[in-house]
Amino acid sequence: MRKSYEHCIRCTICVENCPVFKVNPQYPGPKQAGPDAMRFRIEGEKKVDSWISLCTQCRRCEQVCPHDVKPATLILQAQMEYVKYNGAKPTQIIFSNFHFISHLASFFAPVANFATSLTIVKKMMKLVGLRDDIPFPRFSFRTMQRNKVKPEQGKRKAVFFHGCYLNGNAPDTGRNIVRLMQDLGVEVLVPPQVCCGLPALGNGNEKKAKSFAQKNAEIFASKVEQGYDIIYACTSCGHTLIHSYPELAGEKGKMIAENSWNIYEYIEKLINEKQLVLKLKEVKKVVSYHVPCHLKGSGKPYPALGLFHSIPGIELHVMDDNCCGFSGSYGFKKKNRETTERLGKIAVKAHLESNPDVIISDCGACRMQIENYTDVRVCDPIEILKESLE
Amino acid sequence: MKYDVVIIGGGMTGLISSIYLSSKGLKTAVVSKGDPVCSISSGCIDVAGDFQGIPDDHPYTMAGREKVRSALMYFKEIMKDAGLPYWGEVFENRSIYTPIAKKRETCLVPFSMKNADGAKGKSLHIISFQGMKDFFPGYFKEDTSDFNCSLFDAGTLTTVGIATKFDDPAFREQFILWLKECRIQEEFIGIPAVLGTKNPQKLIDQIELVTGCKVFEIPTLPPSMPGLRLFRKLKSYSSLQGVDFFWGHGISEITEEENLVTSLIIDQPGRPTIIEGRSFILTTGSFVSGGLFAEKESIRETVFNLPVSIPPGKPRLNDSFFDTEQPLGRAGIRVSSHYQPVDSPWKNIFVAGSILENSQIMKYHCGHGLAIVTGLDAAENCEEYLK
Repeated sequence: MRKSYEHCIRCTICVENCPVFKVNPQYPGPKQAGPDAMRFRIEGEKKVDSWISLCTQCRRCEQVCPHDVKPATLILQAQMEYVKYNGAKPTQIIFSNFHFISHLASFFAPVANFATSLTIVKKMMKLVGLRDDIPFPRFSFRTMQRNKVKPEQGKRKAVFFHGCYLNGNAPDTGRNIVRLMQDLGVEVLVPPQVCCGLPALGNGNEKKAKSFAQKNAEIFASKVEQGYDIIYACTSCGHTLIHSYPELAGEKGKMIAENSWNIYEYIEKLINEKQLVLKLKEVKKVVSYHVPCHLKGSGKPYPALGLFHSIPGIELHVMDDNCCGFSGSYGFKKKNRETTERLGKIAVKAHLESNPDVIISDCGACRMQIENYTDVRVCDPIEILKESLE
Repeated sequence: MKYDVVIIGGGMTGLISSIYLSSKGLKTAVVSKGDPVCSISSGCIDVAGDFQGIPDDHPYTMAGREKVRSALMYFKEIMKDAGLPYWGEVFENRSIYTPIAKKRETCLVPFSMKNADGAKGKSLHIISFQGMKDFFPGYFKEDTSDFNCSLFDAGTLTTVGIATKFDDPAFREQFILWLKECRIQEEFIGIPAVLGTKNPQKLIDQIELVTGCKVFEIPTLPPSMPGLRLFRKLKSYSSLQGVDFFWGHGISEITEEENLVTSLIIDQPGRPTIIEGRSFILTTGSFVSGGLFAEKESIRETVFNLPVSIPPGKPRLNDSFFDTEQPLGRAGIRVSSHYQPVDSPWKNIFVAGSILENSQIMKYHCGHGLAIVTGLDAAENCEEYLK
């Protein structure tokens, strides 16, 4: 079996679709960073490609490559190798461990939120390589774990993978998702869980990512064995569960990958299986849908579209050509500020062309980023669906 | 997921088929392993190098002259409707520049390249960008009565980077201001095709207004913006008509019942996706696109394992790559006049595009033209079958 990078025919289709390459002349693009450079990466040799961390891991290159080369995967390997040989930067340590930070910060939420707004703390954040010009996400004491929705019996049983953002930063949205699924006749469990592992991967810490993945796989696989389906709303967590867990967590990881459902995909499945009939009421709104890169990377039609197109009165614009540029921890780093800002402005400008009442996106980081550049309301798609079902 | 038609291949052929079929109210899906050659092409529609020299066994002959004409008119209508209009007469070629300044013949061009045809022998001013990769204004000195060039500092070197900057109104304004300072005297202005990732017509009008010159874009080496504009427009047009896309993964398995293919299984992480269809159109292209795969002793069609027609005799590859005909280029799927593969066990499969036997798109300079004509024709035959 030849290595995937040897299939590259240098067509540059990946380069055309790379958001970072578009705006940052310092980044050579996925073709050179991935398959081209692989030929020069010798095992055991000190790594010198510090620019490799400029890749956001949006994975657009992998979706468009017609020859099964996996540029983003090759780049991720190189990013981890770089950290292995050169040590982790403070920001990389922070974000690899975001799960713990999120837990700690939400426990002390008022204090943590106050602290991150202080000039002195901002200065310290800047010193370790974080941006001080955008607000740090606010933490909530009433996390999904701490304040669980009262369980209800249902015809179908599902376990919810909420991820760090919905749990610690947007738990009300998370609870709305659980309640909505319960209203649709699904019994939803929210078991204690850890970070999906994506931030650890993206910050060069494979060991940590594996330990997170194995822990989650243990918890969720046992539920799958009891007849539960896994549902998720955060598309980056979902992408990790499906694409990375088989490798990170072995057989149990494979079980997770095969049994994880995007919530809208799950609703669609229930409708197709005639277990559910939705009565959608009119929502008279112009809605611009920011499709997160990691949803685009699922390779399937966007599951929320079927539902949203059947809401009477809605004018839906689907925007999937632009990456918001934030890419989780990437956008918080000082060195990426310019790239992130440029991409954010391009994406938001495209949304505003349709003059939307609201911009929706499944991804918490995309929403945070879009909010930085517009006053238009930005929310999770669930809020619109909820409005239509009320 | 159940569809009336499942198209395999997201290139020019597949997208044209999908647009036609969805416009007829048929539930249509496109499955593609990745983005097509179209997205890195010059964005021009080559119909034929020479309209008289098409042999009897070419798919064009099978379609007939009238079909070629109506299919290209259909394409022009779609592009106009999509907001990226094309220019040119169906059976007439016009000349454009290549990035190495050699002129070449093509048929339909985006409006941004319309003026290139008249520039031969006239005075020409090339505007390029400081440090821009693989674009050398000096090449264009030949063939002009008077030549000059100016370089603008875009702050970045690649076609993608510069085009992205041109999407920003502030940058365009800065460029126009600089252009005014240049006081260009020549009759024509040629600019590498980086004037935005979207239709650059407004900017070109503005440049013509401030300089009084006739302006045209010159295709670049890939990454190529005119190709990207064309592909993105077709894909979004198709998507707006309700076509579903399964993008990024190949097909691992097919299921069949008697003489029908019933579904495709997509090989992807997690659960495999099963796509059921009443009919299927194969538009996966030839060797480069992966529709055909050459093994040591044989050539394989990669999705349905359809019989591949190979020209008799040896050698299949000639030593001189460009000068002589390559017999291997004739390999492909032999189809009936309804675009259904001959000697195939299934009756709900149609085949179109450069995977067709004897299409030889390099020899006849007919890549996009063949895609549009056979894509539409096969789609119409598929529609007829579904009735």
